[in-house]
Amino acid sequence: MADRRRVNGPGSSTLPPVYDDGELDAALRRQRAPDAIRPLYLKTGVTPSASGSAYLEIEPREGEHGSGMKLTCTVHGPRSLPRSAPFSPYMVLSTHVKFAPFATKQRRGYLRDSSEKDLSTHLETALRGALIADRWPKSGVDVVVTIIEGESTRQDAVERRVEEWDVMNVLGGCITVASAAIADAGIDCVDTVSGGVAALVASKDGKDASIVLDPVALEHESILAACCVAYLPNRDEVTNLWFKGQLPSPASCNHQSLVSRAVQASRGTHGLISASLSEAIGSTQN
Amino acid sequence: MATDILPSLAIPGTILGPASKYASGPGTHIYGGNIVSSLLGNVNVTAPAKAPGPTKRLNKITAPSVEELSTISVIRRGRKREVLPDVGNTVLARVVRLMPKQAIVVIQQVGDTVLQTEWQGVIRVQDVRATEQDKVKIHESFKPGDIVRAQVISLGDQANYYLSTASNELGVIMATSDVGNDMVPISWKEFKDPDTGVSEPRKVAKPS
Repeated sequence: MADRRRVNGPGSSTLPPVYDDGELDAALRRQRAPDAIRPLYLKTGVTPSASGSAYLEIEPREGEHGSGMKLTCTVHGPRSLPRSAPFSPYMVLSTHVKFAPFATKQRRGYLRDSSEKDLSTHLETALRGALIADRWPKSGVDVVVTIIEGESTRQDAVERRVEEWDVMNVLGGCITVASAAIADAGIDCVDTVSGGVAALVASKDGKDASIVLDPVALEHESILAACCVAYLPNRDEVTNLWFKGQLPSPASCNHQSLVSRAVQASRGTHGLISASLSEAIGSTQN
Repeated sequence: MATDILPSLAIPGTILGPASKYASGPGTHIYGGNIVSSLLGNVNVTAPAKAPGPTKRLNKITAPSVEELSTISVIRRGRKREVLPDVGNTVLARVVRLMPKQAIVVIQQVGDTVLQTEWQGVIRVQDVRATEQDKVKIHESFKPGDIVRAQVISLGDQANYYLSTASNELGVIMATSDVGNDMVPISWKEFKDPDTGVSEPRKVAKPS
């Protein structure tokens, strides 16, 4: 008799899906200008049951199916805190970032792992600096970001271990999509926070390094350092900063210039969010 | 008033106008001397409410008060926004549980807005009515299932808003009898079942 307490495997044997990865060739090199970010698609109000929601798609390279990203964010609340929670005169924010099990080439578990918890903490810091929390006393807001498709969908990504750099782009996308969803939910913010990533990449011979915006790890020979910021453009404030990697000792590039390039990337993202949000309210009027 | 320079749509962070010329309304905040939008929506400018009658002759030198400025607010049209009960709001609440010293209620409407989430409130025995507070008995004022009009007096503790019915206009507005019929108020402290003729004690709200 079948075990009814557990989810049983299929009765017959199945084959794992095999994806055609294509060859990693020279064409898989960055063709954008160093200061160009990838095109974005942002739509708010995609989940009717949530108070606010947004969907963000970062376009893969033209003619490729490799390094795009798809993220969705739902905002629930403001709603009453559970009975056990202590009194809070301001809004209690909780963030959850989760990769879908199929988001990356390496399958993710259903439980949150440490990197997802890390991303949640970064996202919480980024949003907390933008929210006007004291307008909503005694209430809680849940921000849930699901990564439907991550950057590392290709087998090469696993082999070359670039996932640790892709997580920067994921955080940048999370910040952007969460900010749009919070605006959609009608929760007071001082500014529309947006995420931006810049990286210091080495050329093929490993000699000269240059800074690129919105890096895709697969497109570069090696990444030396990367920086992700959450930035409030109208206030010129950074709410969250994540720096990773080692800068080469001859200071051709210091930390400050990498951060300012990341800020520049997030300014670009902000232009896209504001255009998309204005379009969203413009269309509901008609 | 130069309203034409204002943007019609605002996203959080959009600068709407100088704080010296406008007052900050709902959905905005003040930063660096400017009114800045904090919500996504349409910008509204409300002219100041002019006092009727002839203006009073100035006998004192005073700074122009805030009421004389137009108020900027940002409102998302076609979308209900969640509101929170605040101190001073009149709310409608349903009684869920009675205790000797207090009644537990669930707030369902704030002003004219029906809430999406349920907020728990408590009416303490000393807040039931304004006079003879020591003679109030909770069991003779409310019954579970009654709809009560009340005023928020405090954000309260972790779980409850503190409500008061200590006013003529506040109290039970809808009640059902033991057998389940809707009752009608017959005095300031009694509801009567029109079918059975039995009357029950309540803290009755003055019909409006």
